[in-house]
Amino acid sequence: MTAIRVPAPLTLSRNGLVRTTLRLTGAELRLLLREPMVAVGLIGFPLATVLVLAGVFGQAPDPEFGGAAPSDHYLAGYVGVVLAALGLITIPVHLATHRELGVLRRFRSSGLSAGVLVATELALGVVLGTVAVAVVLLAGTAIYGLRMPADPVGVVGWYVAGLVCFTAIGVAIGSLVPSGRSANALGNLVFVPMFLLGGGGPPRAVMTSAMQSLSDVLPLSHLIGGIRLSWLGMTDDPHSLWWPLAVAAVAVAVAVLTARRRAD
Amino acid sequence: MAHDSTITERPPGQTAGSMPGPIIKVDGLRKRYGAVQVLHGVSFTIGRGELFGLLGTNGAGKTTTVEILQGLRTADAGAVRVLGLDPAVSGDRLRRRIGAQLQDAALPDRMRVGEALRLFASFHPSPRPLDELAEEWHLGTLWRRPFGALSGGERQRLSVALALVGRPSLVFLDELTQNLDPMGRRRTWDVVRRVRDGGTTVVLVTHDVEEAERLCDHIVVMDKGRVVADGTPESIVRSLGGITTVSFTDADLDVAPLRHLPGVSRVDRHGIEVRVAGTGPLLAHVGAHLVAMDRPPLDLRANLPSLEDRFVALTEEGNAS
Repeated sequence: MTAIRVPAPLTLSRNGLVRTTLRLTGAELRLLLREPMVAVGLIGFPLATVLVLAGVFGQAPDPEFGGAAPSDHYLAGYVGVVLAALGLITIPVHLATHRELGVLRRFRSSGLSAGVLVATELALGVVLGTVAVAVVLLAGTAIYGLRMPADPVGVVGWYVAGLVCFTAIGVAIGSLVPSGRSANALGNLVFVPMFLLGGGGPPRAVMTSAMQSLSDVLPLSHLIGGIRLSWLGMTDDPHSLWWPLAVAAVAVAVAVLTARRRAD
Repeated sequence: MAHDSTITERPPGQTAGSMPGPIIKVDGLRKRYGAVQVLHGVSFTIGRGELFGLLGTNGAGKTTTVEILQGLRTADAGAVRVLGLDPAVSGDRLRRRIGAQLQDAALPDRMRVGEALRLFASFHPSPRPLDELAEEWHLGTLWRRPFGALSGGERQRLSVALALVGRPSLVFLDELTQNLDPMGRRRTWDVVRRVRDGGTTVVLVTHDVEEAERLCDHIVVMDKGRVVADGTPESIVRSLGGITTVSFTDADLDVAPLRHLPGVSRVDRHGIEVRVAGTGPLLAHVGAHLVAMDRPPLDLRANLPSLEDRFVALTEEGNAS
């Protein structure tokens, strides 16, 4: 066998931890490329749903949608739906399956800290989320057209907040549940109502007051509301930036504490 | 022997290794899972350079003990020092200095053997050359094969290679030869001896008495969360009392005179088979007696006490109490 090259060694420095995280993230991404059904699962549902809804409600401005074109309303809002699917289903299933199979245990026994493993999942979320959002927006724009964002910086800001929020939620759920199947069941249980009430389903104007009250506490509602406000210049949805960020902070704390306690 | 008694053949602190001073010191370890107390005050010391065996039946508390030693679980009570560190406090730091092949640990199914070795090598400042490691553990031909397609034995070999890639001064091997065929087992034993000869302290967790007896120079036997024996394999066997059994077949022999031979403690007849138990040069005395009686048997043989006999005796004592 020819000589085998080993990457530069890691140290305990901050740079070393960052390099470890990037190497693990790279390894995980290579594995996901060999398992394309993960990407199909992440992108397929939001893409199919948004294309159907945008097609059904059309491209003419509609007062039920705050005066925006329904296609624009849904396409912009589905940035949030993709991130929610990532955080509530894809990441928890990935993490919990790793634990169930003993992969996390293998990594921990080699001295990788809980922080590195959590950071790797966060980095994985950033890459997957960005790719999935890009695919949904490009496909939607190609079919229905999508107007340019009114406030591109605001859109990016909300997108980053949403990515952090839902990736953190995903890592927290993945840290808590015992298996990939339970992560999938719990993820769907949380995702579907959040998707319907949080801006991915009917517009807020047609919801009952009870539904609207529930919608007001969902991080997805605020994320979609913020993106729609920045993109379309208008929204009926709640849009407090602190809400997804506060949820993210709690989720990260839960994930790190759980990972340290479980040590597997 | 009472169930919680311990055979300690070496004075506390004295080790069997070539270098002085313990690399692991465990004192009064206790652990409970819910209502089940799995460790009842486990104490032992492992010297530097030892090939140490933690031997016990399934459920004896071996894996819980080594998980606590690696900082993968916390103890309810007791003190542990590994490489001078407390695993509960400095777990990540400790695990970077040790190697571990664990039960129930795996890799992602689609990760290839070569990728895994490269990735884990990158965690260490001075990893073993991967081609050398691959040759040692016969992984070269599996280099591009995904983990999910490996057999049990191949996974085991990869797992051990990953444990050794960082040149650890201490390595934990949990049920090392579990999925290996007899040839693979013996090859693995040779490599483990070489690892020890290279200066690495090896902690071998096993329920395989033969493996412990052949490989280890220091053994702790655990039963139901307690240490029931601690010493070299020879000293543990000696603690059985040095009972030897001599057996032969003779359908008509009067066995009563055998009871008066030197060292004989018991004579039993099972059909045509006669068994004489006792201490000292029993085979010579019985053989001489049978020749004198003009009844030399063709199948006279001695069964010397083994570690397995002692292990069974110790664990049966535990079950009886």
